[in-house]
Amino acid sequence: MAINAEREGGTVIAKADGRIDGSNAGEFQTDLQGVIQESDTALILDFESVSYISSAGLRVLLMTAKTLEGNGAKLALCSLSEPIREVFRISGFDNIIPIHDSQAEAAAAVSG
Amino acid sequence: MAYKILVVDDEPDLEPLVLQRMRRQIRRGNYEFVFAHDGVEALEKLAANSDIDMVVSDINMPRMDGLTLLEQIPDVNSDIRAIIVSAYGDMENIRTAMNRGAFDFVTKPVDFEDLQITIDRTLEHIEQWREAVSSRDQLVALQNELDVANQMQQSILPTVFPSGPAYASFGAMTPAKDVGGDFYDVVRLQDDCAGFAIADVSGKGVPAALFMMSSRTLLKGSAIGAGDAGAVLTEVNNLICDDETNGMFVTMLYAIYNPRTGELTYASGGHDPPLVVHPDGTSDLLPLTGGIALGVLAGFEYGEHTVTIAPGDTVCLYTDGVTEATNLDGKLLGIEGVQDYFATAPPADAESASQEIMKVVFEFTGEAPQFDDVTCLTLRREA
Repeated sequence: MAINAEREGGTVIAKADGRIDGSNAGEFQTDLQGVIQESDTALILDFESVSYISSAGLRVLLMTAKTLEGNGAKLALCSLSEPIREVFRISGFDNIIPIHDSQAEAAAAVSG
Repeated sequence: MAYKILVVDDEPDLEPLVLQRMRRQIRRGNYEFVFAHDGVEALEKLAANSDIDMVVSDINMPRMDGLTLLEQIPDVNSDIRAIIVSAYGDMENIRTAMNRGAFDFVTKPVDFEDLQITIDRTLEHIEQWREAVSSRDQLVALQNELDVANQMQQSILPTVFPSGPAYASFGAMTPAKDVGGDFYDVVRLQDDCAGFAIADVSGKGVPAALFMMSSRTLLKGSAIGAGDAGAVLTEVNNLICDDETNGMFVTMLYAIYNPRTGELTYASGGHDPPLVVHPDGTSDLLPLTGGIALGVLAGFEYGEHTVTIAPGDTVCLYTDGVTEATNLDGKLLGIEGVQDYFATAPPADAESASQEIMKVVFEFTGEAPQFDDVTCLTLRREA
């Protein structure tokens, strides 16, 4: 698991990869906190290279969503593989985190 | 706080010499000295001063020599470290002393600068030793807590399962080594109906175990009071959201079975869909009901879905410990693994269905470590 972040204006685009599970969820959380600044307006998480996410990983996303909400910022996910998309569908997390097919779509949605 | 050092020597001149040469360390509160003149008196001083940290002892002394004293010290307190003072070049006694557990030695005539370095080095070792012991004690305490949480998790599971003239049910769980947060529960309802719940709390350890306990209590209360499956999850979710959950959540599937009609009404809060296995070995996953994990979104209205269970069908509820069981090659079992098994060996009854799911999981994972609780709850309408 590693995070690669770029910033475009107030939007942070972060790419995660590999497995996000109980063994590295803490690291994932620290990394995410490290890339977000209070003045940011949106975080787009590109999950194209994420192969697996456990409930520990979902918990980090939930806490990140709450932090961003507190700052008045948006969170969006994009480019999920079908098994990962399924995890969000089954857990119902797609009810609270918008999921988009591509970075471009996500960027359009958070700027709109 | 000053370290307390016991100096043992039959030479009467040594005591004033030590006090004089170490006066700075004494004045600064680093060292405090206690003196004895032979091994017997040393043991008496050790018994009277349980806070002595280390011993500096001569070898040749009346009544009890230093080498014998060395053997006795661990019986008084195994954390005490000793430095031996020997005649220059007396390798035989030095070797014996080291073999009997002396930490270090200095030679006569005593070079006080060297003695101080040796004392400081010994005290540093004692400090590290104490830290290591304290970390180990904390680890043991934590392990004990986890054991308690583990027993708690096991003890709340029901051991008697609802059944009737035309149906039976059964549940099984194999907990992971680190306490996970799975549970299942059964509730007897009005009109011979029965409620079945299976759940998986995010996270591990004591916080997850406590969260699981409270989720289970809330579920039980709501299941008896609230009625419909969707309404039960809506109520439990709101109650959980009222508390500070620290980002923890629980996926839960709650189903109500009516044995008179064979109807099963279920609601899923972010949980894997039920699997229905038919008598011919074919199987279907029931549709999701669009619910989110509990504890995430206050006020969420959980939908429900009703299916009719045909005679001979077996409904399997399970947690992701089943679907995400991983073998040594890193492959996931998936619900397909369970479906493939039942395709050739359809379950004969509710109890064997649960046991066979466990068997499929552990035959698949083999020697691979178990990361998550493996839990299932099965219900069969008799043919």
